[in-house]
Amino acid sequence: MNSILDLILRLDCWLLLAPLLPGIINKVKAWVAGRRGPPVLQLYYDLARLWKKGVVMSTLASPAFVMLPAVTWVALLGAAMLMPLGPLGAGLTFRGDALLLLYLLALGRFCTGWAAMETGSAFEGMGTVREVSYAVLAEAAMIAAVLSLSVQSGSIALAVMLAPSMGASVVLLAAGLFIVLLAENCRVPFDDPNTHLELTMIHEAMVLDHSGPPLAAILHGASMKLLLFTVLLVQAVLPMGRLNPWVAALVLALGVLVVIVAVGLVESLLARFAFRRVPLLLTTAFLLCLFALLVAWKGGVP
Amino acid sequence: MTGALIVQALFLLGLAVAVGAWWPRVWLGLTLAGAVVAVAAAVAVFPAGADWEWKSGILLGGEAVHLRLDGVSGLFVVLAAVVGAAGAVYSREYWSDRQYPASAPRGRVWWSALMLSMLLVLTASNGLHFLMAWEAFAISGYFLITLEAKKPAVRAAGWLYLAASHAGTVCLFAFFALLAAKTGGWELEPMRGDAALAPLFWLALAGFGMKAGIFPLHIWLPSAHANAPSHVSAIMSGVAIKMGVYGIVRFSGWLPVPAAAGWVVIGLGAGTGLLGIAFALAQNDFKRLLAYCSVENIGIIMIGIGGALLARSHGDAPWGRLALAGALLHVWNHGAFKALLFFGAGSVLHATGTREMSRLGGLWRRMPWTAGLFGLGAVAVAGLPPLNGFVSEWLIYLGLFDAVAGREASAWAALPAAILLAMAGALALATFAKAGSMMFLGAARSKPAAQAHECGGWMRGPMLALAGVCLGLALAPILVWPALASAAGTWHPGWSAKAAVSLATLGWVQLGLAGLIVAAATFLWRRVRANNFRRGPTWDCGYAAPTARMQYSSGSFGSLAGGWFTWVLRPLRTLRRPRGHFPLHAIRLERVPETMLERVILPVASRVMQVSTAVRRLQHGRLSAYILYVLAGLAALGLLVLLESMP
Repeated sequence: MNSILDLILRLDCWLLLAPLLPGIINKVKAWVAGRRGPPVLQLYYDLARLWKKGVVMSTLASPAFVMLPAVTWVALLGAAMLMPLGPLGAGLTFRGDALLLLYLLALGRFCTGWAAMETGSAFEGMGTVREVSYAVLAEAAMIAAVLSLSVQSGSIALAVMLAPSMGASVVLLAAGLFIVLLAENCRVPFDDPNTHLELTMIHEAMVLDHSGPPLAAILHGASMKLLLFTVLLVQAVLPMGRLNPWVAALVLALGVLVVIVAVGLVESLLARFAFRRVPLLLTTAFLLCLFALLVAWKGGVP
Repeated sequence: MTGALIVQALFLLGLAVAVGAWWPRVWLGLTLAGAVVAVAAAVAVFPAGADWEWKSGILLGGEAVHLRLDGVSGLFVVLAAVVGAAGAVYSREYWSDRQYPASAPRGRVWWSALMLSMLLVLTASNGLHFLMAWEAFAISGYFLITLEAKKPAVRAAGWLYLAASHAGTVCLFAFFALLAAKTGGWELEPMRGDAALAPLFWLALAGFGMKAGIFPLHIWLPSAHANAPSHVSAIMSGVAIKMGVYGIVRFSGWLPVPAAAGWVVIGLGAGTGLLGIAFALAQNDFKRLLAYCSVENIGIIMIGIGGALLARSHGDAPWGRLALAGALLHVWNHGAFKALLFFGAGSVLHATGTREMSRLGGLWRRMPWTAGLFGLGAVAVAGLPPLNGFVSEWLIYLGLFDAVAGREASAWAALPAAILLAMAGALALATFAKAGSMMFLGAARSKPAAQAHECGGWMRGPMLALAGVCLGLALAPILVWPALASAAGTWHPGWSAKAAVSLATLGWVQLGLAGLIVAAATFLWRRVRANNFRRGPTWDCGYAAPTARMQYSSGSFGSLAGGWFTWVLRPLRTLRRPRGHFPLHAIRLERVPETMLERVILPVASRVMQVSTAVRRLQHGRLSAYILYVLAGLAALGLLVLLESMP
């Protein structure tokens, strides 16, 4: 009974709260620009509307075009189930789950790219190439971050890895993970979710041809991914394991809010980088995570 | 029991060699029966301590025949038998008597000869006989690769394969001869105590590494695998190069290794993995892409083996066992999904007659089975859950992470290896997103692609079977753990104890994930059909008349990530910019050559030839000059003696 309650609570957190984040980011951006902006719940309205809408599918695309967004969504939900949620812990924890999480994110990327290539569109091809190529560097940064958490805690299970704080290297790791968060979630300065120029898009270019329920699955999945990265960043930085459960939940929620506002501020204050500078920024993220790893290695107690 | 089975398998395959040219049905039956019996024999040795050994009185080349099957060789026997059987069925349609009346019978004979000689390599326990079987294995591979000997490209690939293979065999000759000289006999068995044997490991690494295709010894591999018939590519890529892995695992387990061995092997593995997949991403020929991807996977396997060697030399660290188990499981996994992918590639080649991805596209419509199965193989080879490639990479990662968390000297090798493995994985994802989408998705880029046809049951059956193997290994990896544990225990007796690994949990998670994926995909498809559903042209931001030529091409797909590797890829570029207000011609061509071969090996080889030609001028057949040489030699000797005798 208790485990069912736990599962329901966890699914609520991920499925229902995730679409809040893009709304908050948009609100922050509007606030900085002095506009009123769309309501915070805009994505919920969009999802409900899309779910009821019809679908236009390219004549070139196979049925997989409609099914792959579901696979991506399941991969992201699976990754979310592995991620501990402060006092709730993880839905499932075992030795090596951190690697499964990384590869589930990769599965989502593969399926989105494959679906994009179904349409035979040049823009979507361009988006796919950018996504899978930049992921090589983002992956290196992520594995370095996971390695440094693992060195710090002496474990490969997320629930244990994220419990203590990172110690001296926390600033480096936080900066590295924040850059990866921006890149993996297609935010400025890597990608501009609001751009009207398809040539400069990454993720948005990949989903140009989707409509109706599959697009809803994609948008909802993207918001879960954003929440996933935010929660990872907050828990990697703060010593969640040492707090009392209620405080931990509050701290986690506040931390997520702070990160999301920071994303909104970055988006308001920065312009999108030229594409040739994207690899440089991602390499910086990799180096930050690598230095965090070396500091953790030399600094902490084994 | 095991003995009877293995002898029976050898006998059945020998019979298949004999009848292959005349009775295709009987041949197929014998090959399949031989494969089944060989698998049964291998499964029988998986329980701990069930090794089989047979020392006979039969002399061959002055040495008594000595056969042995244990946990390590059993793994490879299963792989050879499964892929061999699948390829035999596949070749019935792919390389049929009707289409290739001259080479099909030859192909059958050499196919069984290849399987037979591989089984002999795996069971031989005498250095001399190992070399004989190894040579027979290399030669049968050569004749299979050159089945289409009329094509110059095939002949060139065959020669390159033969030359490289023999360069490796020279090292193995030296290895076995020195081993025999040091131990006083050709018998092969565990000789872990004799520290004087350790330097021989380098010879074995060079000889077997050549066969395995470790970078930069891989030069023969891409052209041989691309130009061979696809079922031959499948067994070459899936099994034959694993014989090199077998040699390295076998002799690093039986002989002591130098202290640097682990460092070198893990370094070679990480480099091979990253560079192999970088080359794969840059290819336009889909079979060459698959071949380079095999180089990458050999790199992944070498990372695991190198980790195991490191752990063994650093106080028997238990993480080495995980790395070794991951490497050995990857041997199976790669054999299964690479054979599946090559069969898929063969099906496309059969249907369209081209290996160039820039001439394909949109094949899913005409070839839904091939497209689906190739897609499954692509997910597996990219190491993504819930398929089998992930399971073995996960085991290797677990080993490397434990090593890093241990903070000992070996962590300095495990840390970069883990990062490079992750980058190679991400590049593999890009490579197979490219291969799959260029071949099967979008619109057809040429007429043959538009008029392709699906393969028949004889080709589809083996592909389905291999896809089943991939799924089985992915969803129930705990079932193969005893085999892996037995192999690890054979390799290093200290690792034969039971160890807890969360492989069962991973299996359940993968199973749940696969179930959820199927359920969610079906649900979404139903929902879409229930809503208002229609088809229209690709929107593409309002293009009225999209054409197939406007799609992203194979060259541009690889250009972004490939651009980071131009320092090693060295692509050849032809560029003619559009000029004037009404430009007529503009060209941009880019081709990645066989860089290691053309830029490194061939220049060195031609320099050697130049020196040899220069030296040959001394040998001209003029008697007077020879007398002069003799006199000069005598004078030099006299001078030497004189100098020595002086105080």
